[in-house]
Amino acid sequence: MSDDRNKGVSLLRRSKYITPVESSYSKGADLMVRLFFLIVSLISFLPVLLVFIISFSSEKSILSQGYSFFPKEFTLESYKILFRSGSYLIRSLFNSVLITATGTLLGLIIMCPFAYALSRKEFKFRKAFVFFLMIPMLFSGGLVSTYMVNTQILHLKNSYWALILPGLCSTWYIMILRNYFKTTIPDSLIEASLLDGGRQHQVFFYVVLPLSKPVIATVAAFQTLNYWNSWYPSLLYIDSNHTELYPLQYVLVNMERSINTIIRDSQYLSAAQDYVPPAITVRMVLVVIVILPIMVVFPFFQKALKTGMTVGAIKE
Amino acid sequence: MNKKKYRRKKQAREQAEFFLMSLPATVWYILFCYLPLFGIVFAFKKFTPVPGDGLFENLFVNSKWVGLDNFSFLTISSEMSGIIFNTLFYNIVLLIAGIVIPVFFAILLTEVRNKAFTGFVQMVLILPYYLSWVVVGYCLYGFLATDEGQFNRVLTLFGQEAIKWYQEPEYWRLILILIGIWKSLGYSMVIYLCAITSIDRTLYESAAIDGAGFFERVFYITLPQLRTTIALIFIMQIGSIMNSDFGLFYQVPMDSDAIQGVTQTLDVYVYKALMTQANFGFSAASSFLQSTVGLVLLLITNTVINKIDPESSLI
Repeated sequence: MSDDRNKGVSLLRRSKYITPVESSYSKGADLMVRLFFLIVSLISFLPVLLVFIISFSSEKSILSQGYSFFPKEFTLESYKILFRSGSYLIRSLFNSVLITATGTLLGLIIMCPFAYALSRKEFKFRKAFVFFLMIPMLFSGGLVSTYMVNTQILHLKNSYWALILPGLCSTWYIMILRNYFKTTIPDSLIEASLLDGGRQHQVFFYVVLPLSKPVIATVAAFQTLNYWNSWYPSLLYIDSNHTELYPLQYVLVNMERSINTIIRDSQYLSAAQDYVPPAITVRMVLVVIVILPIMVVFPFFQKALKTGMTVGAIKE
Repeated sequence: MNKKKYRRKKQAREQAEFFLMSLPATVWYILFCYLPLFGIVFAFKKFTPVPGDGLFENLFVNSKWVGLDNFSFLTISSEMSGIIFNTLFYNIVLLIAGIVIPVFFAILLTEVRNKAFTGFVQMVLILPYYLSWVVVGYCLYGFLATDEGQFNRVLTLFGQEAIKWYQEPEYWRLILILIGIWKSLGYSMVIYLCAITSIDRTLYESAAIDGAGFFERVFYITLPQLRTTIALIFIMQIGSIMNSDFGLFYQVPMDSDAIQGVTQTLDVYVYKALMTQANFGFSAASSFLQSTVGLVLLLITNTVINKIDPESSLI
């Protein structure tokens, strides 16, 4: 959208018809602002950079220099330890992936049809349902009752479902999906398909869904991020004797305890029995493993985020 | 006649289909949002469960009504006034900073000529938003660790004494505010950037023809056009003024007891009352208070904004 507009503007400028300035900065001001943002970006990135560097620093250089941005010696030792530690870490990585994938997919499967139903004006009860969706946004039962319901009625404690189900839907995402279905998919297209004898679920599945890839990608991106980063449900619902259910993030939370398990594992497996790895670098390696996938799919998130924002901003 | 019957049948079928499509999500909402709503009762009961009975039986039959007794958590603990002050203090500061700084940044950034540079800045600044609080805690630890942390290294380099950061409460207000801003800055900035790009360009063009400079454009076009977005975010934030980001106040200070006085907020209290003291009543009463105050404030703010500028109100 904005690109078209910029194109139009530059076209105008070239024709020298009128001179609508795109930027009101002078050359010097532009340079100053850019310098400012360069510095801000650098400062903002430093903490993440430091974690990366620590994870590659050798124990020796940490002992002499602390967590320095310029360690004397780089090493992959901590990474090797983690990968040698085997089962415990790989299990938690597997858990994170499993929870993220299942939660995101299941959430979409539940939310999309609902959002479609809410977007159709033929659905007589859609107003009531929207109201039904809004109440939890304004008022919630609080931690105690949520915890009690999840553990005593739904019996979710110490299971994967405790980490997946509570985050499955969100009114916000349903509204984004609904707004997109409502405004972006031409009504005439849906009507035509219905006239051709299509049933609502067929129209939804064969007409609306294929046209809604951007918004589905948006919600999927948000949900992936939420699940990948979630540790609070584990804190609440997974007991310390169920380490096999820990996702990566919770391993990090529990590091004090986990670090011993990892080291024990790796000592058991490695030949060098007497070697004790530097605990903090191992933690930082874990942090890097958690951040890395996010940074890889980074640009994609950015686009998804913007779609979400433009669609989400539409008011009732 | 037949046609009418057919149409009605078709319509009924259509409605049934819609219901079927809504069913899974509705079930989820009932189980995970509406069922816990009954739990508000926890705030007004002394929870005395009988082993073997179901939760609802325990709550409604086996537990006694105690009226507002549970709300005595407000007065019983000497820490409470500090906790409430912390919650409000951090929220208000972060609310204001979380609007002013990103709006300022977004306005500055939109006018930069090089679009590749703009994209780069957005990408770097939004990174912290993608990190979990656990990860943020570790990032901070790299700087604040007592022996190896960057800050203490720099301090000792200049002959100053090293500081035990996780033991000294006086620094944590500033640290938590900076971290809170750092994490949300990029995301909020992108929101405002999106809002700015959707402003009608012709407004700027005609202003430029009339000879408006940077500041005129900002004050007469950009800011007034942003008011709906700002108002929306403001109202939503006010609604959660008693809530706080649990991770920021629990995970980032690494749950250190020595600095609890300045880091503990209501959400941390609610969590601790439930998980470490098993004090259902206090925890529930505190949640109830948070929800109610938030809702009331949200409605008041919304009404006020609706009076001033109907376009910007939420509901």
